Amino acid sequence: MRPNTIALAAAISIASTIPAFAHHGWGGNVDEVTAMSGMVTEGVKLAGPHGTMKIRTMDGKVWDITLAPPFRTASAGLKQDTIPVGSMVTVHGQRNRDPQRYEMKTIQVEYAGRHFNVYPEFADKVR
Amino acid sequence: MAWLEGSSLGHLMRDNGVWFYGIINLTHILGVATLFGSVVILDLRLLGFWPDAPLAAISRPTTRMAAVGFSVAAVTGAGLLATKATEYVGNPFLYIKIPAIGLALLNVFLVHRSSAWRAHKNRDLTYTERRRLAAMGGTSLFFWLTSIGAGRMIGYW
Repeated sequence: MRPNTIALAAAISIASTIPAFAHHGWGGNVDEVTAMSGMVTEGVKLAGPHGTMKIRTMDGKVWDITLAPPFRTASAGLKQDTIPVGSMVTVHGQRNRDPQRYEMKTIQVEYAGRHFNVYPEFADKVR
Repeated sequence: MAWLEGSSLGHLMRDNGVWFYGIINLTHILGVATLFGSVVILDLRLLGFWPDAPLAAISRPTTRMAAVGFSVAAVTGAGLLATKATEYVGNPFLYIKIPAIGLALLNVFLVHRSSAWRAHKNRDLTYTERRRLAAMGGTSLFFWLTSIGAGRMIGYW
């Protein structure tokens, strides 16, 4: 390969890693870890790139709860049938930077005295 | 979208364990890589790169592998979308990606219908014919890059 071919390949490789970091980081969410409680309106689903569920908080807002990827969420003990729809849960995580989007990237789910640390490496951020 | 999510494809995607989506996602990427890897060689040749390499020798393997890659990407892509199709309603990148694929396929159709394309298998092309195929090669690169770029961005919306 000629040097300019190598330089071009290097430039493309570096440029294409930027979105990859954006996805696997938490850039779309605020840094602060907060907690909120609500009723499960749609149970845990372990399909797609991340596990998901929906909860309704006291003010009537329905939140999209983004969990860890399916395997890691299941490994934390949180399976599709663990929490029945209608249960009260408390979730700890980082909400979306856009205040109009009711979405939280979740570190820990509390249900019936159990703590599911779907991102155990961030569990120390939960207080 | 609700219909797609509720379809048997949607159920297939959701009910097959925690790794199923990831494996289909991997297959989709392999399909896209095969498609674009083939397309970029053919299109650059049409645009005038590697004039010493006979076009007829390049066009046969690249068009076949592009077709294989496209088929794999299309089937797996439908599955990825069906997993939670309703979540993608309003995602602007999806609305860029799908028409871009449509226009790229229209371009494929126009290339294959053109007299220049049909002639290249039997004889050397005239300057005008090469210019015409170069324009369609550039169009192809543009629409495939647009669809792949928009597709990659769907997850960041």
